[in-house]
Amino acid sequence: MDLVSRDRDRLLHRAARVYGLSFTIVSLVCAALPGAIGQQALFVSVPFYLLLAVAQVRVGATVSLLPILVADLAGLGILVALTVLSPAEQTAALPAVGQLAGFSLAAGAIPLTTSGRRIALLVARFLVIGGATVLLTWQLQEPLRTAGSVVLGWALATGVGVWIMATVPQAARRIASIGRAHRAERQASELEAQRRQSARLLHDTVLATLTLLAHSGVGVSEDALRQQAAGDARLLRQLRLGAGPTDPEDPDAPAPVEEPVLGTTLESVKQRFTRMGLEVSWHGTGQVLLPSHVLDAFLLALAECLENVRRHSGVTQAHVTITEDERMVRALVTDAGVGFDISDIDEAKLGFKESVVARLRDVGGSARLFSAPGAGTTVALEVPR
Amino acid sequence: MTSVEENTLGVVVGRAAKRAATSTARWFTQLSPAHRASLGTAFLGIGATIVVAVRAVYGLTWFVALWPAYPVPFAALGGWIALAAVLVGAAIAARITGDRLSNGMFAVFLAGLAIAVACDLVAVWDLHDIGRSATAALTAGTALLAIVTLRGPTEVLTAAGALGIAFSVAIFFDIPPGTVPDARWIAAQLTAIAGAVLPALIGVVIVESFRRFVQLELDRVLVQSTVSAPRFAVGMLASEELARLDLKAEELLQSIADGATRLPLDPKTASVAASLATELRLHLIEGRRETWLYHAVSESEMLGKSVTLVDKSALAGLLDAGQRDGLLSMVWLLVSDLAKPTPTRTLTIQVGPLSPGDPGIPDGRIAIPITITSTGIARNRVDPAVWDAAGRVGRHVESTENGSLRIAIECVVDNPAESPSA
Repeated sequence: MDLVSRDRDRLLHRAARVYGLSFTIVSLVCAALPGAIGQQALFVSVPFYLLLAVAQVRVGATVSLLPILVADLAGLGILVALTVLSPAEQTAALPAVGQLAGFSLAAGAIPLTTSGRRIALLVARFLVIGGATVLLTWQLQEPLRTAGSVVLGWALATGVGVWIMATVPQAARRIASIGRAHRAERQASELEAQRRQSARLLHDTVLATLTLLAHSGVGVSEDALRQQAAGDARLLRQLRLGAGPTDPEDPDAPAPVEEPVLGTTLESVKQRFTRMGLEVSWHGTGQVLLPSHVLDAFLLALAECLENVRRHSGVTQAHVTITEDERMVRALVTDAGVGFDISDIDEAKLGFKESVVARLRDVGGSARLFSAPGAGTTVALEVPR
Repeated sequence: MTSVEENTLGVVVGRAAKRAATSTARWFTQLSPAHRASLGTAFLGIGATIVVAVRAVYGLTWFVALWPAYPVPFAALGGWIALAAVLVGAAIAARITGDRLSNGMFAVFLAGLAIAVACDLVAVWDLHDIGRSATAALTAGTALLAIVTLRGPTEVLTAAGALGIAFSVAIFFDIPPGTVPDARWIAAQLTAIAGAVLPALIGVVIVESFRRFVQLELDRVLVQSTVSAPRFAVGMLASEELARLDLKAEELLQSIADGATRLPLDPKTASVAASLATELRLHLIEGRRETWLYHAVSESEMLGKSVTLVDKSALAGLLDAGQRDGLLSMVWLLVSDLAKPTPTRTLTIQVGPLSPGDPGIPDGRIAIPITITSTGIARNRVDPAVWDAAGRVGRHVESTENGSLRIAIECVVDNPAESPSA
């Protein structure tokens, strides 16, 4: 049995519980009124009422049929006690009988609407309880009137069950379509998160600016800070408004990034280093079309190289030359600084291996390092178009 | 100075940043209770309205039959006109305003019912048998069913209770002085009051159970979408959060660029910038990714309350879609069996640790031990469907110790080290 039907059955059983219990209480109160039924009848029927109530509570707690049958037996016991044990001329027991047979026991019909087997049981229960009620009250009330009210009560309970049954598939269909929409949304949001996370360079410059601002922008000229904020806000806006999420693994994705993005990004890298005291001169191609994740890796590696120049070279100027052919885009980062002996320096120590080589390898590119003490340093970066 | 060391790229050096717990965990489930409630309840409301209509026809029949006996027949007629007017009005208003009755309309509806009850009671007062002679007044109780899906449960129940009390008081004062009513008469009055008040009560319980049912199904179907998630995922919440942070940063930077925010920044704005930077950094760190099972548990209202997940090596991500579905169904069946989750009834899912190679496992595959421990569930009370679902995850053994049920499953999956796709 699937989970929806199980939960639906629970729903029906809960409905039967509240329906049955409510009218059991009404019936008991009617029977317990002084003078309604004889002492003996009351004495016998109260334990049956308790059994009925317990069985009806259980009806709501499980989806098994047993409590319904127990409730039926208790109900039949009460019917016999109210009619046979009561003095023959007593008609005051009729309201209690009516509430019991027409409503309290009829509540068991609500969960019996779900399958052919259950419907057969519903019909059998109706015939037994309805028949017993008509026969037992034959002397007290017009049999046709008794039968009429019992049929009405059972029809009402069955109708409630059928209606709930009919509502569930409708709700289930709509819930399933919400589920499908949610799955699509989950995939989209996953891609969106990847897109934002892979826009590393952009976030790096935004983070740098935010960190400057966190120190109230001390030490940087107001104009420069405003310019940088404007540039970063523009980049974030482009990310936000940018074409829908693109999957880096999807070859059909609209890959090349718009030229202005690259232009402003290169410019913002340059400005950032200018503010930090390193003059960067650009040479060669200024506008390169690259898939966004390749572009990010490329620019991040470039910025990392410039950061190394700023920290270690001892000079305040660096040159970046960008060239391209049909297959590759290359950048040469050159400085005339102190240089170093490559065999002396652990590459990992410079963060070079992780931040530059690994990043470029991820997108199919490569990096090479040339340097000698006193002869400056050159880094050649290469990424596929 | 900040305590975090960073370079010009703004990258945290040494990854000093530590992972923050996702605080936004339940936004989705809180998002749209109204939207959730409307699923199917409208149809349920139509059913309730049919019951009201049937009851009204029954009442009208008696009204016609009793016409000659009424001391003030036109008061009863007025009651029926008032009742018909509010019922038709409520049906139209519900159609127009979309399955919700506004406060004003609700007040008008209740006032209309009160008028119907008052008129009808005036009409039958001198018969001294309200239970067997009132018609519109008793139908007015059932009429509350018509709005059971349109208003909150408390309001409907309060209205029904007030009506019940009004009837009781009226019946009590209507007893002719000097007479002692017999059991038959009292029973007739009692069943009449019950017939007027109970439909609303039962209707409220059914509608509330139905709403819970819908909520449960919705929760399950939303969590089900994690079954097709990749091995590691950022999750709905984190990605939403990242977008939000980006937007806030953009707004701050724009306001600085525009000159709307003065430089140098005042300490408050500066600290906003600092916290934005920190949060953004946390969200950008790779590895902030969790398995589908983590997302399923944290995003679900139902599972989040009672399930504890222990999966240090994130092995749950290796399960294929069928195994995930089986595991989720299992957990769902066990948890939703606890009708009302209590602190003492909990479920713990332990995934891993991997044990040394099992000779029975084919090459390229590994066995992940999954242990589900639940307290507060008896072995014989467990839904048999749990074992079917467990069978879809892998070979399983169950045992009971100290009143807690323990299910150990050996789940065989592709070895990620040997399969390039993982």
